[in-house]
Amino acid sequence: MMPTPPSPAAQPTGPTGNAWVPIPFTVVRRRREIPGTVTLWLAPPEGYPFAFRPGQFNMLYVFGVKEVPISISGDPGTPVPVAHTIRQVGMATQALVNLKPGDVVGVRGPFGSAWPLEHARGHDVVIVAGGIGLAPLRPAIYSLLRHRPQYGNVVLLYGARSPRELLYARELERWRGRFDMEVLVTVDRGDRTWHGHVGVVTTLFPQADVFFSPQNTIAFICGPEIMMRFTVRELLDRGVPPERIFVSLERNMHCGQGLCGHCQYGPFFICKDGPVFPYQKLATLFGIREI
Amino acid sequence: MSAETVADLVTRLEQHPFTQGFPTSALDKLTQAATLQTFQPGTFLLREGRDADHFYLLLQGQAAIELYLPERGVIRLQTVGPGDVVGWSWLLPPYRAAFDVTVINTVQAITFDAARLRRLLDDDPTLAAHFLRRLVAVIAQRVHATRLQLIDMYAVKGGRP
Amino acid sequence: MRPDLSAMDTLPPSPGSTVAFEKTALDILIATLRQRGYTVVGPTVRDDAIVYDEIGGVTDLPIGYVDEQEAGTYRLRRWEKDTFFAYTVGPYAWKKFLYPPEERLWEVRRENGTLRFTEAPLPTEQYAFIGVRSCELAAIRIQDRIFTGGPYVDPRYQARRERLFILAVNCTRAGNTCFCASVGSGPQAEGPYDIALTELDEVFIAHVGSVLGGQILAEVPHRPATEEERAAAAERVQATARTMRRALDTTDLRDLLFNHQEHPHWEDVATRCLACTNCTLVCPTCFCFSVEDLTDLQGESAWRVRRWDSCFSQAFTYTAGRPARQSIASRYRQWLTHKLAGWVDQFGVLGCVGCGRCITWCPAQIDITEEVARLREQPPQTERSPS
Repeated sequence: MMPTPPSPAAQPTGPTGNAWVPIPFTVVRRRREIPGTVTLWLAPPEGYPFAFRPGQFNMLYVFGVKEVPISISGDPGTPVPVAHTIRQVGMATQALVNLKPGDVVGVRGPFGSAWPLEHARGHDVVIVAGGIGLAPLRPAIYSLLRHRPQYGNVVLLYGARSPRELLYARELERWRGRFDMEVLVTVDRGDRTWHGHVGVVTTLFPQADVFFSPQNTIAFICGPEIMMRFTVRELLDRGVPPERIFVSLERNMHCGQGLCGHCQYGPFFICKDGPVFPYQKLATLFGIREI
Repeated sequence: MSAETVADLVTRLEQHPFTQGFPTSALDKLTQAATLQTFQPGTFLLREGRDADHFYLLLQGQAAIELYLPERGVIRLQTVGPGDVVGWSWLLPPYRAAFDVTVINTVQAITFDAARLRRLLDDDPTLAAHFLRRLVAVIAQRVHATRLQLIDMYAVKGGRP
Repeated sequence: MRPDLSAMDTLPPSPGSTVAFEKTALDILIATLRQRGYTVVGPTVRDDAIVYDEIGGVTDLPIGYVDEQEAGTYRLRRWEKDTFFAYTVGPYAWKKFLYPPEERLWEVRRENGTLRFTEAPLPTEQYAFIGVRSCELAAIRIQDRIFTGGPYVDPRYQARRERLFILAVNCTRAGNTCFCASVGSGPQAEGPYDIALTELDEVFIAHVGSVLGGQILAEVPHRPATEEERAAAAERVQATARTMRRALDTTDLRDLLFNHQEHPHWEDVATRCLACTNCTLVCPTCFCFSVEDLTDLQGESAWRVRRWDSCFSQAFTYTAGRPARQSIASRYRQWLTHKLAGWVDQFGVLGCVGCGRCITWCPAQIDITEEVARLREQPPQTERSPS
């Protein structure tokens, strides 16, 4: 039996040179975003070419600690210094979050598949993000806005746990002020200072419905898997074709090259075949316990 | 179905809180869509995201309404037991279950075939009125409980929201 | 009348030809390889098992030994014949040479406020494998696809593989846990090999697989194999296939596995499986590894090693503070579904070559052929084959 031909979204853009050996990048800027989450800007060595496609990730190595996959969250139009928004969850991410300008990290990448912006041309684009899931989608948003006339309506639905955990809040406000983009924001739990929508991200759909025509829509989703599962269903119910719904998955990764086996999800290596997948490919796997 | 089985089902329906007090004619009708079933621990009554093709009235045993999150494992939201009902996604298109329902201790239940049940309700407005009133009561009680769960009432004061 | 063995051809036998040589002359072949700079690795007896290790000549080979294997059982014993290759496969596969259990990938030093990464030197070993069985050749072909056939080539595997000399051996005896015939990987050796031997009572029948194989054979006193000898050799291999007791039914195997992912049978296996990782360590195709970053005591330099890892270990799927596959049922399912289904999507072949090691070395006697047969008896829970 022949392997399934890779989807256009699964064409990897490999790192330059040997994919095993990290390149030293220097932290040139650090910004605290929300509690426990920091954006680092990393500059490559003089003359080192670095480019990426929205949705791809790098493997970041902190000297003496370990290496972790982190999605790229900056503008692909100005790829360096490369921006990574990192949430502290374990030892390695803690070390990353604590870095200061001038510190050096090892970078391998970029790895993985990208949000298929080339397939989005002429379509309405619905972007649904949950929590830190906005970070790997931000490069796609930058790209869409840069080439705005190529696309139909652009709608961003963003949900976070609470108002103080809204990532890129100032940017969200800026985007919301544009006449060529719809931005709907919600929080799972509000407080009295919050005048916006309260409810899980799928509760934004009734408001969002007027902004896109489902049959002509392409959707990009990133967030906790349960949020993606429920969002996919909302989109399918509205008639968005399953082959135009894309999600981004996360798993333990050691190599980024589809060799170490850790990130397997059904027949896929998330690092090489993903992290961005058309939902259609995952339909039979999504939701199987402990897959 | 034998007359004996039908009579047995009617008796059980009469005793179940959900159908208690329904006119006998309504219970008779409901038996057309019902069977008595047993489910072993570990099996699923419903699977999140898949067809919601059954409605259950629990008679014995215990089941759990759950969600599976790869990031956190199985989250058990609520347990249900004798006298409880399982499933209402079968009532509204696209008839898809929103949660997993796993059997914890062997469950005995009256299982309704959703398509048949919908037809029965469509054909008989009086039966539908009885049925939906009870179901709305169950839903209201569940939503209420969910909201209380959401406020995390035992949380330490000043803790995370 | 037998042709005279001393009547050597002057030209090296060409690829595709078949020659015969005295069994003891294998010593000359090994010596020739050593003279040419090869580290010659072959079967030898250690700790009451056949293991692959460096050998100096035929005296290191397990002459006169046979093995008895069953689920969870391995016994080595002598028998009355002076056979060179009557045993089947032992616990170690050849992968430990081409893809060592642990190796360093790079080093990094703090220097002038930056980090200086240096790749570990590429391996220079030049191995000659003596006695590679058909199932093991199939496994090498599979690992070739994994490490050198994709968008990312593993330079370390490739460096060792490119210089490898393979002397294959056709199996003339089936072990009790063997099932290569049913998965199409034996007992007749298929390339790539330089030479493939079939052991007869008096001589080895050697099929030349490469120009290099012919050149090495040219150093060994040989003569063309007779028609009868070739027929006898073929018959021995066919008899091995006929007497193989286990089989894995591969009909629609991929879909079978994908359609049984939520089947309660996995819980049944989990009551027996100890998640000891033995099956993945002895498997000749299993390739998963972990990388580990280590630091010296001064904190001035650090290095990365990669080590064989196993999908049976809980830490294997540790993501954001928690393993994705916590239950043993899910880990066994992952292993079998990867091997027999996902592998097909990933590499275009089954991940199982029928060597039977996972059956022999499972302390709980779990048998891959049996578990698949059990799954076949039970209807799928859902149609869940990824398209």
